[in-house]
Amino acid sequence: MNIEPKQISLEKWDEQYNKLRKAGLYEPSYGGRLSRHVEDGDMRLLKLKYDNSAAALRLWNFLLTEEDRLKNARDNCKKLIGTMKDLGTIPVMAYSFENTIAFYPDGAWWIPCVMELNAGLLEIADSLGIDESFCPVRAMLGAFATEAHFPIPDFLICSVGATCDDFSAIAQRLNGMGHPIFWWEMPHRRNPKSYEDKVILPGGFAAPKCQLEFVKSELERIKVALSEISGQEMNDEKLSAGIIKANQVRKYLSELRYLAFTAELCPLPALEMLIAEMLAIHFCSDIDETIEVLKDLLDEVKTRIKNNTGFFDRDAVKIFWVNPVADLQVMNLLEDCGGRICGTEYLFSHALDEIPENIPPLDALAQMALADPMAGSTIDRASRICNDIIKYGSEAVLISRIPGASHCALEGEIIGQVIRENFDIPVVEIEVPPITDAMKPTVRTRLEALVETVKARPQNKIHKRRTE
Amino acid sequence: MKKVIYTCPYVSAEWIAAYGLKPCRIVPYSNGTNSGIIRTEGLCPYVRDFINNLNEKEECIAVFTTLCDQMRRGFDIVTSRLDTPAFLMNIPSTWQTIASQKLYLDELKRLGNFLVQSGGKTPSDETLAEGMLKYNKARKSILEMNDKLSALQYAQLLEQFGKNGPDEVGRMGFSPCCSSIPLAIVGSPLLKHDFEILEITELLGGRIVLNATENGERGLCSPFNKRKLKENLLMELADTYFNSIHDASRRPNSELYKWLKINLVEREVKGIIFHRNIWCDIWHAELQRLKDWIDLPVLDIESTGDNQSTNQNTINRIRAFLEMLS
Repeated sequence: MNIEPKQISLEKWDEQYNKLRKAGLYEPSYGGRLSRHVEDGDMRLLKLKYDNSAAALRLWNFLLTEEDRLKNARDNCKKLIGTMKDLGTIPVMAYSFENTIAFYPDGAWWIPCVMELNAGLLEIADSLGIDESFCPVRAMLGAFATEAHFPIPDFLICSVGATCDDFSAIAQRLNGMGHPIFWWEMPHRRNPKSYEDKVILPGGFAAPKCQLEFVKSELERIKVALSEISGQEMNDEKLSAGIIKANQVRKYLSELRYLAFTAELCPLPALEMLIAEMLAIHFCSDIDETIEVLKDLLDEVKTRIKNNTGFFDRDAVKIFWVNPVADLQVMNLLEDCGGRICGTEYLFSHALDEIPENIPPLDALAQMALADPMAGSTIDRASRICNDIIKYGSEAVLISRIPGASHCALEGEIIGQVIRENFDIPVVEIEVPPITDAMKPTVRTRLEALVETVKARPQNKIHKRRTE
Repeated sequence: MKKVIYTCPYVSAEWIAAYGLKPCRIVPYSNGTNSGIIRTEGLCPYVRDFINNLNEKEECIAVFTTLCDQMRRGFDIVTSRLDTPAFLMNIPSTWQTIASQKLYLDELKRLGNFLVQSGGKTPSDETLAEGMLKYNKARKSILEMNDKLSALQYAQLLEQFGKNGPDEVGRMGFSPCCSSIPLAIVGSPLLKHDFEILEITELLGGRIVLNATENGERGLCSPFNKRKLKENLLMELADTYFNSIHDASRRPNSELYKWLKINLVEREVKGIIFHRNIWCDIWHAELQRLKDWIDLPVLDIESTGDNQSTNQNTINRIRAFLEMLS
């Protein structure tokens, strides 16, 4: 069925769903109307605008049924591994076992947004002494306390060291509430000295070989722990197979990102792209289905580009977005203001880079873990953003502050400084709380000002390095 | 002699001194103006003032550590905006594995290389051993002075020790505090103007018998094992620093609570002043946990680092706390 790309409301999605069904829509087991998720309390869905394709419907349904999959996995005697903070590495190991499912309890940070604060998770976090001065990931504590949003994992693994203090502190609080945690160390990635053996990591950062060896030894500990909990042995063949599968996800995402960010007409809106990217970190609890969901999206995007169809005006301003937003609606808002997303760094770029397949698998995973943009200096992270600005032709950068997050106090200054040193493009910082309704006019004004600033500039000034 | 400026208790003063440089562990202060190189919303005042203080210092070397995320990122600010040579030392958060302990040892060696590049000289074992024994002795003297000094004087003594080294320790004459209610102050490191909290508490009738802030007694390592000193100096240095200083950032941080329990019981503490710097997540998260864990009253004092005298609200809270305990 050939449908014109359009952003539609949840209400309109029901009509669209009927049309697609009549046209022979393929539906996976978790398929159905999007509006049914509102009955679960996901009230924010009523206020979002969605891509109207069958591929987007599948993506949303896949995302919003994860809890069912986790419960189902438990019913089928699979072990649930709660991986925390590393964003992308440990799940690749966990999915290499046949009977373990990994997910990030950190993902609870979107519950206050999706349920419009009705779940009471932030109030529970308050009562545990973790107030609004912490990042919204504190909702995770409430989710553990209520046991209402995901099954309590059989095993919790958390990376600490070069991570944000909010998360480390909240995880320790969780530990104090009686949830044992397997802690592993992520050292601050540093640039190698000239006399040190070095390794170039996926994504381009460099690190001394000794740091790689250290991370590898930490992953070895995790491998042993996972073997014990799963009752299965893990070997290089199984790990390599897991990496190949994870790489399939990353290859699709890489192509999807490139096409979505560089096509003349935007072929996939920001919200759907954000969710697609998020699938890379733990595959929404089903890696095989993630691959199928992404393949559908990629096919849709290719068809739209081929048909020269898409969203927004051709002169929509190309924005590079830094950090994920706590309120999903802001992605819609950016597009309402005349922008489109062309480049992202949502804290997990290392989960998008392909994992090397030509070296021992644990070395490859250690490389991936060490490539975490948040584990190294903010200057390195900013350099990576600069490379992507060139790659995607971004015309402006928007740094989205996460309220209370320890890294946000300083990183905006540094990232902004590095970008301004390299490009003559505007950089704006905004703060996005879980629900932006009260401050929507302020956020809108800043986004509009950014878009207008770019549109008023001579075209030849855009996205050229200052040194060129 | 070139100064090596730092704040973190896991940076070994003996190690720096052995390279012929002057270790200078400072208590950051606010200059009370907006002229600092950094004033950002959401930034811990301790980190902010440390960076701004570096900007005011003449020729020096700075050592940052990864003990907290904001300090880690503060290093980026310094390297990108100041000419001050700076080093970022990786302090592992985990401590129960051999690998973490070795990582700390390797970081000490890496710090040594940096100090040589910055004008220091590789030390002989004799120089290092001599320095370690000297610092050992000074720390012992300081700990013995706890009950002979007021809390403010004790904090100043610790500050002087960190800033000027062991030679200054014996030269101070002080008078003890006569107040009666034994208290502990636990939490984030104190900024210079936060010392006022100590003074006010004692003026109002409390006696701080345990300064368990980072720049208090909790930030001093245990005595070195003299037998082990003869076997492997550096190993003993690393082992003592890494394993005897208990911080809230450790994962898990159960050792901090064990250390607190011993000291609170031993000193018959009747109440705890919990000090935290605004935006310090690591300590803020411990407040409720401490309240749940200990059967003692806990008073939460948040420091905003605005360089004003301790505000009336804080004074009233301390007064009410002491009235309740008396």
